[in-house]
Amino acid sequence: MRNRYTWNRRLPYLLLAPSVIVLLALILYPLAFALCNSFWFWNLQMGPAPLYYSGLDNYRLVFQVTPFWVALKNTLLLGFLGTFAQFWFGMGIALLLHTHLRGTGLMRALLIMPTTLAPVVAGFLFRYLLEPKGGLLLWALEGIGFPVPPQGFLGNANTALLSIGAVDTWQWTPFFAIVLYAGLLSINEEVKEAAQVDGASAWRMFWSITLPLLRPIAAFLVMIRFMQLFNSFDLVFVLTSGGPGTASRTLSFNLYREGLVNYNIGLTAAMTWLVVIIVSVIINLYLFFIYRKREW
Amino acid sequence: MSKQGISRRDFLKAGGAAGAALAGATPLGNLARVAAQSDQTINVLTVGDPWDLALRSVTDQFTEATGITVNIETLGYTALQARLINAFLTQSADADVIAVDQMWISQMADNGWIRSLDDFIGMDSDANFDDFLPECLYSLSTWRNQVWTLPIASYAQGIMYRTDLFEAAGIDPLPSSVADAGMWTWEDYFGILEQINGMDLDGTSMYGTTVIGFQPVPVVHMYSQLSASYGTRWFTQFPEAPWDFSPTINSEANVAALHDWKRLYELSPPESINYLWFDAGTRYSQGDIGMFFHWTPYFYLVNNEGYLTGTPSPVVDKTATAVLPTLTAGGDQVVSLGGWSLGMPSTSGNQEAAWQFIKWATGAEAQKAMGEVNVKGHQFADFSRQSNYDDAGLNEIYPFLDTQLEMMKLGDGKVVRPPAPIYTSLEGVYGLQINQAMTGAVSPEQALETTETLFQNILSGNQMIPYGIESFDDTLENTKALQASLSGM
Repeated sequence: MRNRYTWNRRLPYLLLAPSVIVLLALILYPLAFALCNSFWFWNLQMGPAPLYYSGLDNYRLVFQVTPFWVALKNTLLLGFLGTFAQFWFGMGIALLLHTHLRGTGLMRALLIMPTTLAPVVAGFLFRYLLEPKGGLLLWALEGIGFPVPPQGFLGNANTALLSIGAVDTWQWTPFFAIVLYAGLLSINEEVKEAAQVDGASAWRMFWSITLPLLRPIAAFLVMIRFMQLFNSFDLVFVLTSGGPGTASRTLSFNLYREGLVNYNIGLTAAMTWLVVIIVSVIINLYLFFIYRKREW
Repeated sequence: MSKQGISRRDFLKAGGAAGAALAGATPLGNLARVAAQSDQTINVLTVGDPWDLALRSVTDQFTEATGITVNIETLGYTALQARLINAFLTQSADADVIAVDQMWISQMADNGWIRSLDDFIGMDSDANFDDFLPECLYSLSTWRNQVWTLPIASYAQGIMYRTDLFEAAGIDPLPSSVADAGMWTWEDYFGILEQINGMDLDGTSMYGTTVIGFQPVPVVHMYSQLSASYGTRWFTQFPEAPWDFSPTINSEANVAALHDWKRLYELSPPESINYLWFDAGTRYSQGDIGMFFHWTPYFYLVNNEGYLTGTPSPVVDKTATAVLPTLTAGGDQVVSLGGWSLGMPSTSGNQEAAWQFIKWATGAEAQKAMGEVNVKGHQFADFSRQSNYDDAGLNEIYPFLDTQLEMMKLGDGKVVRPPAPIYTSLEGVYGLQINQAMTGAVSPEQALETTETLFQNILSGNQMIPYGIESFDDTLENTKALQASLSGM
């Protein structure tokens, strides 16, 4: 009897063990490996193995030899503005789809298409569209009198980051729209009808009923997209390579430069850890504020 | 992974010993003998430059002569670098012959990743080693008094300009020979640009020039030519011994050069801040640029409307080439000399066959055959051997070879872009700051001050100031002596 009790108590742990082991191997080990490397001088341009223990030197060098602060500022701008724009554009499209206008079926099918493109493909597509000499989109914008900088949007320090954000928004707004539309479909119509009977305006119903009921989905979407935008690399690499100057440098691009161009493994490991800490702080703050009142 | 506190000196010693052991263990055999009817296969990793296209077109000739099958795999620059480093770190025999950028030589040689070719060259009279231009060997292939690679494509820099525009503006043709360039200065160059900028030529509004502005690598390639001509040097002492890598990049000469670089940008299409190498060449080919300087492969590449498209450009027969100007009339000139060479990874299991291929591909006959390939036009004139420059047939196809040769002979790849260890990191911050100055975000003075500080931090952080490893007096004269010694002269 006692054996059976012990077995029953241990069984859940045994069943969970494979997942836990895989998680440890895939997440904790690389992070621990990077943390360890961040305290060593290890630059493949100087030698294939770590040469000596360097303490916190790599962390100091992150601030001294890489454009860390400007990259952090750009990354946060891209993350916050991109997520904000994609959420609200996506919400608008989802609400339109929910009105059951003619052709919404076709629209749903078309909407998913940008999301299926690899970011690097979307990047090349827009690089050609935004080409200052002969780019179709630039030509069209100039045609309608939109002010285009002489260097083109990608070559101008004031518009390069915004252009990256715009391309990302073009690609990922449909993702928001489709998921939020699915959320709208799951809202019980009786709740809305009751509000209508009580005389609530459409605006009031959106803020007081639709949005709160979408919150579980929206909160998750926003978190995922923010993290993806925070780690944006493909579009930055293809569209501007962080330029002009540092106008569109992001933390991921800094990591690429140090890790895969300069081969400074120690420095890259230190930078990785700083990024992990920053993302963790932001996401945990977000989760704290979003989930502190679990009304739903 | 074990982490031992070894010093770089110990590491280099170990690498050298390993390299020597590997060389000793390799049966070199009679390298002069062609491996006739061998059924060997070698893998060659190259980069997507014009010479790769020409090499692929003639490689069958090598297989026919030797029976050695050649698998060529072409990668982009960054992909090639990543692939090679991964292969070296994992000690995998990924390739038997590799394309090596001149900037990688020090890193690959010091780490023992590629093997010295001295033994092969010394034992193989077929190599005609004395035929190589010593400037090309010095800039592309030697490190610490050993030959690590052989040049497959050497690039100097020179000027291309529109003859019809010059004629319309009443400007005399530019000097195509150093002997005629006594009074030819950068100030003259700027004067012409200002004169032709905005001119109308057959209904086309012309830009004076175009720059390569994309950061960090492309902009450094073009800017470093201007700044070297102005007298800029990167370090207190390099490549002459004893090496002192204390940076000297924030000099008066370089500040003047960066101010003039901004002038060049003002006379260029605004979008050229984002131009890569071929963007600038293609822009010139499209017909609205009056004059520019670039790597010498563009002497022939501009004959195509786009990059290797095969469609003749509107500037064919309206373009002439010229030598670079100097800062002062009759003053010293230093020309950027770069390019690609072929090396042999230490891990190659087919070293004899690999050597045969390197010797053949960099040899005068194969180089001539590459120059005669006419796929999408003639697309290879990046010769490193004197005999190719003397060849009448090649001169007929590429009438600019005399000018190119003169630029090669003034070339010094170790001064203009010094291939010191961690060059890539230095180039990264330098290119970024030049680009920042172009955007106007910082002044040239601020850009170079920041560059110098970053150089200091990077070099100190990588234990290169003070430099604790033995230096080598890496001069052109020493390369000439090495060349003579290996040629048995």
